Amino acid sequence: MKTETAPEAPAVPPAAEPRPSARALPVWANPRLGLLIVIAVLVVLFSSLTPAFLDPRLTLAPLQADISVYVVVGLAQLAVLSLGHMNMAVGRMAALSTFAMGLAYDRLGVPLLVGLLVGLAVGAGIGALAGLLIAKTGVNSFVVTLALDFGLLGLVTILYTWATGGVSFAVQPSGLSALRFDTFADYCMGEVCGPRIPLVVPIAVAAALGVGVLFRHARLGREILMTGSNTVAAELSGIPTHRRVVAAHALSGLLAALAGFLLAANNGAFSANIGESFLLPSFLAPVLGGTLLAGGAVSVLGTALGATLTQVIYKGLNLLQFSLEELKLYIGLVLLAALSLDRLRALLAERRAVSSS
Amino acid sequence: MRSVIRTNEFTLAVIAALGFAALAVATDFNLLTAGTLDAFLRFLALPIVIGLAQMVVLAVGQMNLSVGVLTGFCAVASGWLMVDAGLPAPVAVLAALALGAVVGLVNGLLVIFTRINGFIVTLATMTILEGLRYGVNGTGTYQGYSPGLREFGQASVAGVPVVFLLAVAIAVAVALFFRRTVPGRHLLASGGNPFAARLSGISNDRALVLAHTLSGLLAGFAAVIVVAAFGSVNASIGDDLLLPSFAAPIIGGVALAGGMISVTGTVLAAFLVRLVDVSQSQFDINRRWVDLIIGAVVLGAVLLGQFRDKLSGGSR
Repeated sequence: MKTETAPEAPAVPPAAEPRPSARALPVWANPRLGLLIVIAVLVVLFSSLTPAFLDPRLTLAPLQADISVYVVVGLAQLAVLSLGHMNMAVGRMAALSTFAMGLAYDRLGVPLLVGLLVGLAVGAGIGALAGLLIAKTGVNSFVVTLALDFGLLGLVTILYTWATGGVSFAVQPSGLSALRFDTFADYCMGEVCGPRIPLVVPIAVAAALGVGVLFRHARLGREILMTGSNTVAAELSGIPTHRRVVAAHALSGLLAALAGFLLAANNGAFSANIGESFLLPSFLAPVLGGTLLAGGAVSVLGTALGATLTQVIYKGLNLLQFSLEELKLYIGLVLLAALSLDRLRALLAERRAVSSS
Repeated sequence: MRSVIRTNEFTLAVIAALGFAALAVATDFNLLTAGTLDAFLRFLALPIVIGLAQMVVLAVGQMNLSVGVLTGFCAVASGWLMVDAGLPAPVAVLAALALGAVVGLVNGLLVIFTRINGFIVTLATMTILEGLRYGVNGTGTYQGYSPGLREFGQASVAGVPVVFLLAVAIAVAVALFFRRTVPGRHLLASGGNPFAARLSGISNDRALVLAHTLSGLLAGFAAVIVVAAFGSVNASIGDDLLLPSFAAPIIGGVALAGGMISVTGTVLAAFLVRLVDVSQSQFDINRRWVDLIIGAVVLGAVLLGQFRDKLSGGSR
């Protein structure tokens, strides 16, 4: 049961503690630990209810592929939550970027990697545009990205109709099907084969590591967090806050594009509906993982765990023949319960910290 | 006089009037024929009420993401009461309103007791309601319920649809609530500056709960309008209401930070969005262009508002 959480949970320590006082809090006050326990309990529960849950080929490999997509989706939201901003257009940015990838493969016949880079550039560009609008005008990020989402929703469908006459590219760049179906178990060196982990997993792990290092060790990431925690103080300390806002939104767009690519690889098609299901999970993962909407603090490991938890619930309930709508009901309840418990734990921990000091 | 001209509402009213006139001319005055005008106003009722439902929570600096899905849930629930449970229409209507208010109350209580951001709370309740909405009747459609209610939905007084008059009456009531009543003033004070409000003896928690309950109640009214005017309800109602619910107040000049509302602006903005909608059907434009245009309009309205604030700030 370690196998499906271990690859998704890279050993990145949380990039920043939720509160300055958090270091003094007891171990059980760490929200990541709670998530890990809930995930473990659910995995045991689902595998005892239906043995099919532990089927490596039919369940575990697709589950890991799904988790990979939604970890990156969560990171895309986390990139702007670091500022206390939101990206309501995260799904549509992914859709526009995958359109660019599909177009590059279809019309120019570029190799897989080049197309990916084109898409990432488009994602980063549209994200930077959102950031620029927010930074220049001072308008709430929610409004700007909501309007952008509206606009892109129309644009993406129009572009697909123009380029394909339908809603999806027929092109299959070489290497895409390997990303879709292969696991490392298919690649052997002599007698030794890799573990049954899909090829998309390392991409998500690399993204998580990259974002973790950025926010924990890189100057850019620290400056983004400072901007998020107190813009005026950051400005007075000589941080070009406008440029940091643009950078964080560009990163969000870039990660959205990567998530779109991973989903396209999982689905085996570059289609207009990519990103439609991104908005709710993009908030679920970071928020479950203890990232605040207020900005100034992020948790990459928490986001990875949050994404894992939601996908484990989806997969488990799906195997137990729950319908999609029932799934939504339970996901919503889990979210509320998890957040209320988290709040309770924080209160208890604060009380204890106060009484012991 | 000059102060009237420089208001956001005045700008919107001019744009709305010009847009309406332009559309009327462009369609060879087809827009002004009784049938078209009737449909125009009938389907304007829902965007107005849904925009107001979002506006009342924006007034205290909160958001209600569940507003569209809640409308769908209340509509399907009242359909169930009439068709499957065989209850009379007035009971179903009151039940829809009560259901909306109760869900709103739960939203508000969750926000004050857990201290979780309202955005996240309503995101969670939206997800839950999506499941419940579907759970009532699956993918099935309720139709053929209470002829009286459907007649109410189709009725007109002097060429103006009754549901539109209902929406206007609701808008007037909301405006009076914020302008004239003590709880309404408290909501705005709390939204504008929670700290100052608390020092003046206003309970911010009570304001939050009241705002969310009102928002739910208005979603219930929106559900009644849907049930009456559409003639059939199913589990997909409300899916496309979330973005318009934000578009109307934001174009109408309501601040997301709270403390400032504009009922007239919200109604006029709903009118504008409806104009775009109608031109799409009149000219057989791809539905997607409408989304593109509305996105651009929202952004444009916000940028314009910002620009004007800067100008008036500079002249002060």
